[in-house]
Amino acid sequence: MPTGLVDVLHDASVLHRFVDFIGEYCRQQTRSQTYVGSAAVFFRYVEQLAAGIQDELRREIERATKRTPRLATLRRNMRTYRGYLRLLHALIKPAADAHSLTIPGPLVDLASQQLQKVAGMANSRLLILLTPEFMYFQRPHTDIKSQAREIEGFIPSASFPPKLGFIEIPYSQGPSFFTNLAIYHEIGHFVYEELSHRNPSHRAFKALASAKERCLNKAFSPRASKVPAGTRNAGQTGSNRQAFALAEKILENWTQEIFCDLFALRLIGPAFSFALIEMIGMLGVSRTQCVTFNTDHPAPACRFAEHVKLLRDDEWWKEIEDLQAEQRQFLQELANIPIGRYEFFMDDSRRGPRRLLNAFVTDLAPAIKDLVCQLTTRAVPSVERFRRVRHDIQKAFRAGVVPLTDTPDRRDPVCIINAAFCFYLTAVTEVVKRFEEPGHENDVALHSKWKNRVEMWTMKAIEDSQVMQRYKDVQRYGPF
Amino acid sequence: MMPMALQDRAQYLSLALFAQKVVSALTEYVDEDRSAKLKPSLTEALSSLRHVDAKRPTVLPQGRLAAFTSYEHLRTVEEVWSAKERGEAIRMIRVLLRSAPRDRETKPTAERLIDLFSKLQDQALWNFEQPRPVSPKVMQRLCQLA
Repeated sequence: MPTGLVDVLHDASVLHRFVDFIGEYCRQQTRSQTYVGSAAVFFRYVEQLAAGIQDELRREIERATKRTPRLATLRRNMRTYRGYLRLLHALIKPAADAHSLTIPGPLVDLASQQLQKVAGMANSRLLILLTPEFMYFQRPHTDIKSQAREIEGFIPSASFPPKLGFIEIPYSQGPSFFTNLAIYHEIGHFVYEELSHRNPSHRAFKALASAKERCLNKAFSPRASKVPAGTRNAGQTGSNRQAFALAEKILENWTQEIFCDLFALRLIGPAFSFALIEMIGMLGVSRTQCVTFNTDHPAPACRFAEHVKLLRDDEWWKEIEDLQAEQRQFLQELANIPIGRYEFFMDDSRRGPRRLLNAFVTDLAPAIKDLVCQLTTRAVPSVERFRRVRHDIQKAFRAGVVPLTDTPDRRDPVCIINAAFCFYLTAVTEVVKRFEEPGHENDVALHSKWKNRVEMWTMKAIEDSQVMQRYKDVQRYGPF
Repeated sequence: MMPMALQDRAQYLSLALFAQKVVSALTEYVDEDRSAKLKPSLTEALSSLRHVDAKRPTVLPQGRLAAFTSYEHLRTVEEVWSAKERGEAIRMIRVLLRSAPRDRETKPTAERLIDLFSKLQDQALWNFEQPRPVSPKVMQRLCQLA
């Protein structure tokens, strides 16, 4: 046996056991739980990958015993597989936990249906994960997918499922409805990454790339953006290159956040703004933080300014501007903050370049809105339906019943969600007064109970609307 | 671990996989005289490396180049290869693309390239396993430039 092979064999067997466990774990989940979405497809991929890595390890060790072994290369490759498995490891348990009893199924179904209608997103699938973090995330699936493609070159038996998006829901929010509307933002990340990585590029994304280039040119002085090859000061040249790449990454982060917000607004209207404000309220963002950009996110004030612009364009704004809710006031207040008050910090103390922020707000943000509008349909029909039936829907809530879904207007899920959210923010006290004994109007536990009920009624109405719509479609077009 | 950290780390892993692909193609050529993967891998590596040394950085559509477009990739490549080594890598790739697999004399060149890309894979894996925040020097540079 070649020198050093014993140690490599040990490492290979440890990796072998690790993938063996992961593969078996995924098999068990599929057998014992029911899942909404695409967990089964994902688990099957992990099982295939586990088996493929085991085969590859066997082959590599066999090769090493027959030829001049490249043990260092073999060790390095095992480290790479381990790294990839580490990324998947972080997804497997949250995916296993997100079975049908722990997530808002009707909302996920609705979001999946709406996703299919976005240009270029037909046949896409969502994988829901329950996260211990108190924040909604869309996992950076682009990186995982590009790595999966490379891995496939070495493990051809495991193909990553196409058009699969990872959406994380905080485990404590699993059963709730309104805060989970934040998943629409996360779906926006999925859409952005899926469409922006197309080859050939999506036309609308090409326009965005040009806007980004203009933005960077504006932010960087012409002298600075030239990086002469073979300069004497190679260190500075390297720093310039990295600084440019960092600026591009920051712009990309901000771009995606605004894109996702506007995408969510376009799909579900102002209910998304309210859900985001509820999340911000729970996370405890200060007034200073509201105007501060960091390297990952634009300032909430900038985000809400873009919300209000789109809500005005889509005619939602005039439907909600009189809503007597703190959330609407907060939205308006933040949107009205002048750009000059925005700040940008690279870390806790270092201010970021102002020119980058200004170029983003003035040049890139309008291009992002154009892009979203090209990818999604205008919300006006939903707004008109909302105007016609919001009071009917809210009347049902006041009576303590699930709203009817007997007409096309009342069946529109966007209508139901927005009418319900407005009711949730302004009228739960009326329900408490009506159904509870006098003197309990300020009982926090009762308010919590009735808010929970409003959420459940909304969820049921969404489920009913989907069943009813399906029935109507079958009547009209025949069974699918 | 926060997701952005995971995303940044994933970038390092992408680079490790890219380097592994190049090393694997070169190893197959040197050890087994198989060259099917050599040309595509080296062509990809060459266009990516050219981007690092471009006179003026540009915004590229997502996914147009296999490597060296993101901050994490550039950071790693500049940590592990000097400008001279980058130039050497480009030169050796060109030699191999021109002459391999016909010219067996190119095998020592391929071996040297394996060493360079192995170093790159090692560093990318190290950065993946031990990620560090953005270098203050680069942040300062960005603030000076923009």
